[in-house]
Amino acid sequence: MTKLDPVQFEVIRNALVEATEEMSIALKRSAYSTNIKTRTDFSCAFFDRDLRAVAQASGQPVHLGSLTQFVPRVIRAYGSDRLGPGDALLANDPYLGGVHLNDVTLMMPVYSDLRLPDSALSTQHSALLGYVASLAHHVDVGGGSPGSIGAFREVYQEGVIIPPVKLVEGGMIVQDVFNIVLAQIRSKRETAGDLRAQLAANLTGVRRLTQIAARLGLDTFDQYVEELLRYTERRSRAELAHLPHGVYRAEGQVDNDGYTDLPVRLVATLTIDDAGVLFDFTGSDPQRRAPVNSTYAMTFAACAYVLRCLMPADVPINDGFYRLVRMVAPEGTVVNAKHPAPVVGGWETQTRLVDIIFKALAQAVPDQVPAGTKAMMCQAAFGGLDPARGELYAFYEALAGGYGGRATRDGVDAVQAHGQNTENAPVEETEVGYPVRIARYSLVEDSDGPGQFRGGLGLRRDYQFPGEATFSILADRDREGPHGLFGGAPGQTACYLLNPDTPAAQRLGSKTTVLLEPGDVVSFQTCGGGGYGSPMDRDPALVLRDVREGKVSVARARDVYGVVVDIARWVVDEDATRRQRGKYHPTQSRG
Amino acid sequence: MPHRLGIDIGGTFTDATLIHEDTGEVRIAKVLTTPRDPSLGFLAATQRILREAEVAPGDLRYVVHATTVATNAIIEGTVAPTGFITTHGFRDMLEIQRQIRPSLYDLQFEKPRPLTPRYLCFGVPERLDARGNVLTALDEAATRRVAEALKTEGVEAVAVCLLHAYLNPAHERRVRAILAEVFPAAVVSISSDVAPEIREYYRASTTVINASIRPVVSRYLGNIENRLREAGVRAELLVMQSSGGVFTFDAARERPVFMVESGPAAGVVAATYLGQTLGFDNVLSFDMGGTTAKAGLTQGGTPRVTKDYEVGAAAQSGAGRGRGSGYPIRTPVIDLVEIGAGGGSMAWVDSGGGLRVGPRSAGADPGPACYGRGGQEPTVTDANLVLGRLNPDYFLGGELTLDVEAARRAIQDRVAGPLGMDVVAAAHGIVEIANAAMVSALRLVSVQRGYDPRDFVLMGFGGAGPAHTNRLQAEMEIPAALVPVSPGIFSALGLLVTDLKHDYSTTLLQRLDRLNPSAVEAVFLQMERLGRVALERESVAEADMAFVRQVDMRYVGQGFELTMPLPARRGELTADDITALNQQFDQAHARAYGYSAPGEPTEFVNLRLTALGKITKPRLREWGGSDSPLPPIPPLAGGERGVGEGPGVRSATRPVYFAEAGGFVDCAVLNRYRLPAGAVIPGPAVIEEFDSTTVVHPGYQAAVDKHGNLLITSRKA
Repeated sequence: MTKLDPVQFEVIRNALVEATEEMSIALKRSAYSTNIKTRTDFSCAFFDRDLRAVAQASGQPVHLGSLTQFVPRVIRAYGSDRLGPGDALLANDPYLGGVHLNDVTLMMPVYSDLRLPDSALSTQHSALLGYVASLAHHVDVGGGSPGSIGAFREVYQEGVIIPPVKLVEGGMIVQDVFNIVLAQIRSKRETAGDLRAQLAANLTGVRRLTQIAARLGLDTFDQYVEELLRYTERRSRAELAHLPHGVYRAEGQVDNDGYTDLPVRLVATLTIDDAGVLFDFTGSDPQRRAPVNSTYAMTFAACAYVLRCLMPADVPINDGFYRLVRMVAPEGTVVNAKHPAPVVGGWETQTRLVDIIFKALAQAVPDQVPAGTKAMMCQAAFGGLDPARGELYAFYEALAGGYGGRATRDGVDAVQAHGQNTENAPVEETEVGYPVRIARYSLVEDSDGPGQFRGGLGLRRDYQFPGEATFSILADRDREGPHGLFGGAPGQTACYLLNPDTPAAQRLGSKTTVLLEPGDVVSFQTCGGGGYGSPMDRDPALVLRDVREGKVSVARARDVYGVVVDIARWVVDEDATRRQRGKYHPTQSRG
Repeated sequence: MPHRLGIDIGGTFTDATLIHEDTGEVRIAKVLTTPRDPSLGFLAATQRILREAEVAPGDLRYVVHATTVATNAIIEGTVAPTGFITTHGFRDMLEIQRQIRPSLYDLQFEKPRPLTPRYLCFGVPERLDARGNVLTALDEAATRRVAEALKTEGVEAVAVCLLHAYLNPAHERRVRAILAEVFPAAVVSISSDVAPEIREYYRASTTVINASIRPVVSRYLGNIENRLREAGVRAELLVMQSSGGVFTFDAARERPVFMVESGPAAGVVAATYLGQTLGFDNVLSFDMGGTTAKAGLTQGGTPRVTKDYEVGAAAQSGAGRGRGSGYPIRTPVIDLVEIGAGGGSMAWVDSGGGLRVGPRSAGADPGPACYGRGGQEPTVTDANLVLGRLNPDYFLGGELTLDVEAARRAIQDRVAGPLGMDVVAAAHGIVEIANAAMVSALRLVSVQRGYDPRDFVLMGFGGAGPAHTNRLQAEMEIPAALVPVSPGIFSALGLLVTDLKHDYSTTLLQRLDRLNPSAVEAVFLQMERLGRVALERESVAEADMAFVRQVDMRYVGQGFELTMPLPARRGELTADDITALNQQFDQAHARAYGYSAPGEPTEFVNLRLTALGKITKPRLREWGGSDSPLPPIPPLAGGERGVGEGPGVRSATRPVYFAEAGGFVDCAVLNRYRLPAGAVIPGPAVIEEFDSTTVVHPGYQAAVDKHGNLLITSRKA
């Protein structure tokens, strides 16, 4: 930073991020669907005129990483010269750098001079600064089932595919486009409101960025953006330089693909050298005619997420960082699917990749990474006719599970993992807004992956339907629980049930759509996280606490952790514990 | 001689502020805080200030207390052992929370530890539907068993939060009654009393906090009350609430969750009061101390409150940042954006060669490098000193001599050297980066909430605030800024000028196009009855009572509401009222989010009632009276000469750095206590007083009003 003023730099750096945060606030506060307004299933970012990511709000990492692929391709495909002030492009095409269809992005050019909305009449365009983008997971985009979540054979069944189209022109919504999109969608009123909220977010970003540029002047603005990207690259390289060089490999699998029982094999090979980190997924399975395919942009987001986790919190995230993400994802495989493979469940594969990459990294930086986590999106979607309102509705949410144990601490119970950090839908808000009753919402006891630092517990959520409904599950982990590390054991598997705790109880697949009769209950019981280190090395006081809190049963404490708890006095029986633990062989050391 | 006393117990000092209700004369005293038994420090501070002011204990009319006892108990986990009772199937609500990580990329994250361990959480069979109808009756036998179990566990308090109880409190009340029979010693809080609003986790969290701090707060206030009564104080004893109002010790014992953020709000309340007295209804307040700066907003004479608050959370700004790091409460809290940029915030260079300021602070010990107490890191105070903005010989009225060389050395070694900058440029950079952070905070509390800062007066206070106020004003294009007298102790005034206040809210989901006005009126009247009873208990006369009605409103289906005022009169809403309300809502929505959707159906979500007991406000003093309570006037250094535009304004000069003037300029340095009312000081100027320094930039001027406040405006205007 020899030529530029470090002060101005710091000021601009923060102002750009604030602009995207202001977009997020506008979006969250004016949205309609529970998924966006409460669960915050959206992200906002700013790109420069060369379509490089410059600033992003703290949103969903899965979105943020994939937006850096999507926005440039969409703008280039459409032609930046065809966009003017007050225009906004809508798109969700997975095969144009996008992700699954529910994630719909609205992009808007930003000019150095604010002229809205009458600018359409003005022939004189001011200089282009860049683009703001807001991506939101829409609760329904049409397709084969409410919520557009389900096991389909090709992308056309998954909902409306939106190529780049102007939803807004010169500040006015293009009603024809709006109508044709809404015509595909079940929850029209909510979706219309959510799209307006995205527009509000973009307008907020446009206003703010224009102000910033107006103050600085265009040249200065450009210079500092350039320096911001260089600075970020410099810092990112410096922060990654300490990683031990070497080649690290791990593999794993998604349980099945939704049509066949064949596990979906995933292989990650990481090469860390002077050039940084190379992620190579060669060896992963060919794409399936089933929903588990990840697009290039989705897989890219997985790598970006992992890399970012290895840096301190204050390193900015923009193109200067993203350019360090080097990835080999062979085309035609489940990590880089080709048209027209279905992609709605690609996030299941994508988030599992993150787990597998961390497993590989455990060989390089054992103290930094967790054991296996939930590592599935674990999506629940349902819909039908809402008798109270006389209109079709759709509901979507994604459920938490156990986090993996870590080198010095337990995995967290019932929490989102990796690129996903969406909130739960409050039970009361859900019941007020949709014709469903949440019958139970609790931790799953004894679901921990045992370890010196145990995995977190999964959770259970039961949905009961007073009327008919169509329910889709798009999840995983009911065959194989999250992996343990260094002697830790896997977390308990997940389980999806129809009418649990009744004689008619029936297991449901992890990727399935069912038609429900009035009174039916669908129960999600998500997996626990993997353990870290041997459970025989777990501090008996921690086992006692778990038993006292009912998270781990007395039997499991004794059989799995070798700790005998006296429940009359709530103390560890030291002698019995010593005997119990003595029965087992000394544990293997790390590595 | 009626007096009013404010006591603010901080980590190090217990501050007492005494005001004479008729003359407005203010006095302050400090004693060391006594952490083991804070009531000792409370009493010591009280007795000291009464002695110094020669006021008899019996002459105190009100004692107002700001305390962090509740927050500390929550953050330090020293709350009372508390049981939690909810609907069967949902006992893990406090464990699961919102299922999110507080930080996106931190692999070592934790969720906040539940205040109630899982073995003290119980579900009882019962269920209401989303309209408040009973689906499953309360299982009383099961409830009794739970009560027995909690009794056996030896909890002190019990929090009850049943699903949809905000619509129908019957089951919660029955649970409370059973607890009273089986376990009468337990202190019980039910969610339909504490925070009857939709979204169970937020309501439960609020209720658990209320229950678990009740025993703690009750003991604490009891001690203070006993000591004061023994010392002959007969005054009404009040506690500052997070919302900026006060309530009695008795009310605080019942609903302590309303006083969780008791202290920080005082500055905003003081700014509101001063603004109103001077005719400024819209105030942006900027309170900068040693470690943090706080921005607040007052509109139409009312401080903005938020209900989206987490106790013990990290930064609150943005939609996602820091969310999930604390315990949410759904009681009104004055909306403050607090950032780690105070006088003691450290400047540093990161691994990418970026200059950064904060959030780490040198605190009071060792403090900034210029304190000469061994601090090696450069701070904002050091930077201001190097720029000539602070007087090394008159810091805290000369109690501390600042070491300019140490400040220069620290900035040279840690910032200027590594960045290849000149030391003065680096110092200026440090100040500007801190200023930018403060601008962000001010923007967050204004622009992001849909307000244009240019419609507000910027009020700068706190010991470090006035050195930055004018610069922030310029940056945000705010026409007028105000620096009150004695900025360092200004926020304490907030304790003494606030009304008795009780906030109530009830969820009532109703579309406006199908509104049942009598149902709405019934809810308001019920809340008004509660408010009236509370005020009567506090001996407020009917004439001093006021009831303010508001509604939280949104387009049907939206998730967030805007709070709208309702007509002042009582009585059912008319068709005209509803039309007007819809129009106002469209306007408010457009202001907040940039668009509105007129014609879209709207709905009420929560009805809110604030019951106010008006307290007579002390008068502001005239400036320059002979009974000055202010510290002695120090002699001016150097030759005196007149620079101002008023009579008798005299000053010295010293070189002070201003970027807009191209570097150091010979700048007037004035003693604030010698500035008469009516004086107008052209910038550049530095105005010094005991506890603060006001910097006036070139192109601006400061006018002294009749109360001694400095009003800073552009000279061009």
